[in-house]
Amino acid sequence: MNAGSMLKALQDPMGVPFYPLVFQVLLVFTFALHIIFVNLVIGGVFISIYSYFRSGDYYKNLSKAFARASTINLSLLIVLGVAPLLFMQVIYDPFWYTSNVLSAAWMLGIVFALMAAFSFSYVFYLKLNKDKKHIGTWGIAAFLLIILVGITMHAVSYQALFPEQWVKWYVNGSKVDLSGTILHAFELPRFLHFVVASFAITGIFMMLYSWYFKDRDDMDKSYLAWVGRAGAKMAVIFTVLQMVVGVWWLFSVPSDFQFYKNPVFIAAGVLAVLLLFVLIEAQSNPQKYTLPAAALAFMSVLGMTSAREALRVLYTGRYDYSVYNYKLNLSYGSTALFAVTFIMGIIVIGYMLTVVFKMGRSSKPVDLSSLKLRTWSVYLMIAWILMMVGIGIAIAS
Amino acid sequence: MYPVWQLPVAGSALVIAFIASFHILPSHLATSAFWFNVYVENKSYKENKPELLEFIKKYVLVILIFSFVFGSLSGVGIWYAITVSNPKGISAVIHNYVWGWASEWVFFIIEILAIYIYYYTLGKVDKKTHLTIGLIYAIGAWISMVIITGIIAFMLSPGQWLKTGGFFDGFFNPTYLPQLLMRTSHIFAIAGLYAIVVAGTLKNREVKSFIIKKASLWGMAGSVLAALFFKWYLWSLPNTAEELYKMNVLIPDIIPHVVAAAFIVLFVWFIVVWIRPQWARLIPGILAIFILFAGVFSAESIRERIRKPYVIDHYLYSNQIISNDMPSKNIKSNIGDIDREGILHYSYFVPEGLKTINNTNMLQAGEIIAQIECSACHTLESNGWLRPLPSMVEKAGLISVDTAQALIGFLNAFPFMPQFAGTVREKEALATYLVSLYPPGSKAAYAPELQRRSVSADHIKIVKLHR
Repeated sequence: MNAGSMLKALQDPMGVPFYPLVFQVLLVFTFALHIIFVNLVIGGVFISIYSYFRSGDYYKNLSKAFARASTINLSLLIVLGVAPLLFMQVIYDPFWYTSNVLSAAWMLGIVFALMAAFSFSYVFYLKLNKDKKHIGTWGIAAFLLIILVGITMHAVSYQALFPEQWVKWYVNGSKVDLSGTILHAFELPRFLHFVVASFAITGIFMMLYSWYFKDRDDMDKSYLAWVGRAGAKMAVIFTVLQMVVGVWWLFSVPSDFQFYKNPVFIAAGVLAVLLLFVLIEAQSNPQKYTLPAAALAFMSVLGMTSAREALRVLYTGRYDYSVYNYKLNLSYGSTALFAVTFIMGIIVIGYMLTVVFKMGRSSKPVDLSSLKLRTWSVYLMIAWILMMVGIGIAIAS
Repeated sequence: MYPVWQLPVAGSALVIAFIASFHILPSHLATSAFWFNVYVENKSYKENKPELLEFIKKYVLVILIFSFVFGSLSGVGIWYAITVSNPKGISAVIHNYVWGWASEWVFFIIEILAIYIYYYTLGKVDKKTHLTIGLIYAIGAWISMVIITGIIAFMLSPGQWLKTGGFFDGFFNPTYLPQLLMRTSHIFAIAGLYAIVVAGTLKNREVKSFIIKKASLWGMAGSVLAALFFKWYLWSLPNTAEELYKMNVLIPDIIPHVVAAAFIVLFVWFIVVWIRPQWARLIPGILAIFILFAGVFSAESIRERIRKPYVIDHYLYSNQIISNDMPSKNIKSNIGDIDREGILHYSYFVPEGLKTINNTNMLQAGEIIAQIECSACHTLESNGWLRPLPSMVEKAGLISVDTAQALIGFLNAFPFMPQFAGTVREKEALATYLVSLYPPGSKAAYAPELQRRSVSADHIKIVKLHR
């Protein structure tokens, strides 16, 4: 059996309930959301540690703010990671499952590593707020664990792309390796492309922080301006570095992929260059350029995750694997259920984000009871339940 | 077939059980707590008791850290554990219910945003808005249970789905409603139980006693309702599952006894603190949560056991082999193909030298077959924790390859065992391997039958060396 027919045989006979393109788009989009928070955690924990070791009130404030934000971002990262994990398994199941089994011990290990990382960063945040001394170890331990998780995730996603190697990794003479204790593949520029981006994205997050609180009368204006400038500087430096790493990475992928002709790669590159221009402009007045920079950064991350997907299509295409040929067992009902839930979700989430946005901008309690979305959000969720009850009754009768 | 991952001694299935059991504690808290919170917050505004908010702030922080870090991570952990120990199993459920899970994910996002916003906006937005955020959380968390219960119940009793393959036919299956009602009632009791622990640490005596009295009432009412729905749930089980439930081999008496004992102890605890709220200290409160854990763990393990030998009833065996045809989705059972080609050929991840069985590799081939077809539920080592094969072999008295082959041929005569899939030669290899596991030193191993075994003296040597 060659690798191509093995992949076919491993695909789930249940098929997929809707056109694979939809899952692919959702995979890219939700992965982009997830990776932004991965970036914010790596960068945020680093900033809070770095600032902790510097002296001065500004650094002290910044350290506290980012230690707190990082614990929140870490829990958001986990929940946001669920969706791409799901969609990956729907259309790339042979790759994902085999690679996971081959490094099973690592994949289970990262769950515990993340639990420890969160606990450490939370202790760091608590002690920081009580102005305790000698607490850097907590933050550094959390940071190292997070990087370890990143290395594992990178290796498992990357080794998934080499099906012809799997048997070699698994079988040794007449024995098989049941332990799953080895990571089998690693590509430095591909990995660095995540890590370096973290500092650029965190820089932009600092600009957003400075912009968001600028009208609060209880906050120190010069401190905020300082954070904005530092963020803009960090963002521009690391965007340049990120481009260098990106070029290195592109030249390390198999040459037959011809990335320079691929529209997805070109689009991602163009977005990155645009972002760089805005960031250069932003150096003199960061607050003015915060929103365009943030929007372009988001687009660039989307471009990068799309490029990663395009690369996966090329890698898997070498074994005649195409997600578009996945067996279809159309299920309009369940697809509609998700569509309805998704739209409802956007409205409810939109309402909640409005509340927190308005609340954070004011130093005094705000009255938001007249927001129309408030009652609508609850009604929509109740309507969702009634819809399910209706379907249940229809099925039972 | 995917490659096999095995955790030495414990067995990979126990990893799932371990993580899943832990997940019970934070996930039930996440689903339940806000109904109590919203109730208390509402009371605080209506009766003008702002001091009650002190409790809310504390309770939410516990939920935030315990449920949204350790809870969501252990949830992902269950998923990873199933992925690496039963990839075809998780794949089948995901390919069927991907939109269900994707919908649940939308509610996860709603939940996590709601709880953070609820925590950080207390006292900073108007009361109505704050209550609404709490309510959004409570409904969202309950809905995530509405969805996951459908999928868990589907695996046990897919009902009409086996014929139609329809998403909703499987979702609204025969055990769904009783399970949902049971779990829904139970979460109110759980909310009460956790609230008693948190309230026990409060300084304000009035608030403390107010919360504990209310929480224990919730606890009593939720427990009684849950017990009633549990009866209905047992009654709704498919016949095969009910048969398994009554089998002592599969479910030792101790398990239902633990469920009953946990129920009684917790009920008494609710009555005690209702009468004497000041007795609700931290240590007994946490002990009560451990008792809850023992009870829920046992109840969940009953469900896992009565589903045997399937991951999805009458569709997929625990060892990842598709047991039945499913014309509605154009799926053929794997058994025919495997019987014809042999499992060693059917699975890609087998050493080249073992694909064709001969007298020299029979034992090793048998071991690989056992890894593929048996290790999901049996550890291969004699000191294994999960129904170790050597002790099964000893119990069944498999001292000759002939008897072992005969048993393998009739495996599915045991209602909780799947049928063997493979060629005649592979059956012989597995039988040879099983016989080799017969505990050395055991009396019977030196019985005259041993001489008649078709396994050669060389094989026995290899086995001894192997150990």
